[in-house]
Amino acid sequence: MHKSVSVIGLTIVWILVLDVLVAGVLPLAERTGKAGSLIQYFEYGRSVPGKLDVWEDNPGVPGNLYDVAWTDELLERSAERFAGEDTANGPVVRSYGMSFVNRIMRQAEKIDPELNWDSHSGPGAPPNFTYAVFESDQPNRRQGDVAVLGILSSAVPSMAAMSNSTWAFEQPAPYTYPIFRLQGEGLQRIDPLVTNAEQFRQLRADPAARREWYAQLREQDFFYGPQAFGMSWLDVSPFARLVRRSVATTTLQQAKNKVIEKETYPYNDVLIRMVREFSRTAKADGQRPVVFLIQSRNPRDVDLLTLLKPTLDAEEADYLATAEFVDPSDPAAFLPDGHYKAERDQQFAEQFLAIIN
Amino acid sequence: MLFSELNFWAFFAIVGGLYVILPHKAQNRMLLVASYVFYAAWDWRFLSLIMLSTVVDYILGLRMAKETVEQRRKLFLYISLALNLGMLGIFKYLGFFVESFEALLASVGFATDPLVLSIVLPVGISFYTFQTLSYTFDIYRRDLEPAEDFFDFALFVAFFPQLVAGPIERAKNLLPNIALPRVLTWKNFERGAVLCLLGLLKKIVIADGIAPSVDAIYASPDPSRLDIIFATWLFAIQIYCDFSGYTDIARGVAKMLGFGLMRNFAQPYFASDPQEFWRRWHISLSTWLRDYLYISLGGNRGGSFKTYRNLIATMVLGGLWHGAAWNFVLWGSFQGGLLAVHRAIAGRQKAGAEGVARGLKGMAVRVLSIAAFFQVVCYGWLLFRATSFDQIANFTGRIIGTVSAPAVVSVPTPPLAAFLCLGLLFVWDLMTEKSNEVHFYERWPTPVRTAMYASMFYLLAFGSTTATSTFIYFQF
Repeated sequence: MHKSVSVIGLTIVWILVLDVLVAGVLPLAERTGKAGSLIQYFEYGRSVPGKLDVWEDNPGVPGNLYDVAWTDELLERSAERFAGEDTANGPVVRSYGMSFVNRIMRQAEKIDPELNWDSHSGPGAPPNFTYAVFESDQPNRRQGDVAVLGILSSAVPSMAAMSNSTWAFEQPAPYTYPIFRLQGEGLQRIDPLVTNAEQFRQLRADPAARREWYAQLREQDFFYGPQAFGMSWLDVSPFARLVRRSVATTTLQQAKNKVIEKETYPYNDVLIRMVREFSRTAKADGQRPVVFLIQSRNPRDVDLLTLLKPTLDAEEADYLATAEFVDPSDPAAFLPDGHYKAERDQQFAEQFLAIIN
Repeated sequence: MLFSELNFWAFFAIVGGLYVILPHKAQNRMLLVASYVFYAAWDWRFLSLIMLSTVVDYILGLRMAKETVEQRRKLFLYISLALNLGMLGIFKYLGFFVESFEALLASVGFATDPLVLSIVLPVGISFYTFQTLSYTFDIYRRDLEPAEDFFDFALFVAFFPQLVAGPIERAKNLLPNIALPRVLTWKNFERGAVLCLLGLLKKIVIADGIAPSVDAIYASPDPSRLDIIFATWLFAIQIYCDFSGYTDIARGVAKMLGFGLMRNFAQPYFASDPQEFWRRWHISLSTWLRDYLYISLGGNRGGSFKTYRNLIATMVLGGLWHGAAWNFVLWGSFQGGLLAVHRAIAGRQKAGAEGVARGLKGMAVRVLSIAAFFQVVCYGWLLFRATSFDQIANFTGRIIGTVSAPAVVSVPTPPLAAFLCLGLLFVWDLMTEKSNEVHFYERWPTPVRTAMYASMFYLLAFGSTTATSTFIYFQF
């Protein structure tokens, strides 16, 4: 008995010693600018409120996503640009997407410097973000414009979320978006209570508003949970952060799997209706709808072309499917960060320009 | 319920809690119920197969032991073989043979309506089938007395730590361990916990950490030569860590409950020839194949040609045991061929001298032999991991340069934690090998030992952020 207590006790003591050592070394390494990726490894495990507090307090830190992609601000900028546009310059390509779409569009601009492009994007944005911004941005499009709806295969499960902060545990950009549910033949849009960075900042000082926001997430968002949001005080321990990262990523992966298995959220029907409504709305407004189906590297991702091609064909909507040009299982097509290599983006851009010209 | 998931450890905590307060017989009954619950967590319908196999082999074992007429004893053995191999045949191989037969007919111009058999493979069927078969074989050979207590026998068949992926236990080892009271000691608990920790590191940090890199290359339509070589090296590490990780946890969990399961791996990549490799890799299967198949086929009695034939036939069936696919048959043939060639070249003289390295020159020769033989093993893993004959031909062509391939290296880099843990595992295996003692760390002073445990816990937390996947050997 004595031996067992000493072994278990000493092991715990050593873990604590290691933890204190790591906790002491990390800030030191940060100050000297060494081991940046290793520090990041430990930072990833902070609770979501903990990470957001760090971002809010340190606006200049690399990778800070606190202020990006807030819908109110995107729409405000869009309206300003729209008001200042010279219609003599011809139609504008208005894209609703994410970095993948932006990279293709930048290549398109290089090929065709005359191209007018207006971007609306969020990091890793799911289709409910891109579709919702397309809907809300309706006053800021003209007849003859091209509307691009970006759908990223890896972000499809996140259609069951209202903010990246609930599902992108390691990079929890707090920007928000509506969640869509099936209603009759159409879709019901449930908007988030928080839609701009200022409102979000105020949550820190307003516990009642914060509770209300969390209550909405608890009710509507299939990814929100204590593994990522609870017990922020544990962030003081690097070991606890590592454990949290493990638990949170596993739980979130399980939640994603449940969406893909259609156990919790009918992503396929919702996505089909989004594409249908996108196409019909754009056409009704005299615009040209183009859907980007971006198949990312993960072989477990939803096959966008198989799911959406029948709808696109039925609606006679143009589309650019990356899987028709590049095998997504080919690792040589991708950069280490998961984006397509520039030459691939150029290939997609050429195809896009061929569609709209 | 995977060993690498928290729900298994919650399950084990409940089982362990009940175990310590129950008397011996009640412990066995509780473990049987727990084992059935554990299996039912995958698919409760297939419990019926385990129960059927248990009931039939229990009755046949008793009848066989009492029977004095040889022909009747043989009949009982055949019934057991028919039932167990029949189940395995239907659930594991029927679809494969039907498809292969249809393909054969089509290749000679006979088109048939494709018969699609959607048969689900019950988890662990190859493992518990071989385990129960060894029981009836041993009784038939009068090497074993049958189990008296039906529920003890049922626990032998279904014991949850090793039910779904082995080790394939022998009744001579496990049945007495079930039948006799077990003593729970701190030493066993500590050894079991260390095995579990090591197994989790192997599985979660190394195997799951490097799996995406391997998958990416084996799914790639145009990998380079170096991609294939790196990915196959990584797969060799992945499959070792995945499978031996499972075994370590199985043995660790059993050890904490007072059971001693057999060792399944003994630093296999320190082997320098095929014979040595099969003494170190999946020991419970290789000894099973030796005792019940190779020897039954005649073993090395009957001259060189028959020995080679028996070796190759045994390994082909061993390959087929892994799965109903032609690449496993090819892998088995490759292993059988290696064993036959090695036997022809080295003969028997070398047995007993292996592993002995005298002086610096001897050590250098041994290290070089190990490194060279590892490449041979890796080519076997390419056959094992490939998804089709076309891929085998294509990848082989790219390696030897007969198929053009890009020069770039695009293998995704595995996470840092996987490399750190791989370093730890290498040192661990080296120390086990050098000391010839699996509990080498017990000689260390408690503060040093506990510092190592703490580091292992920290490393596990550090590396447990990758997505976990099922154990590779569950599909067999």
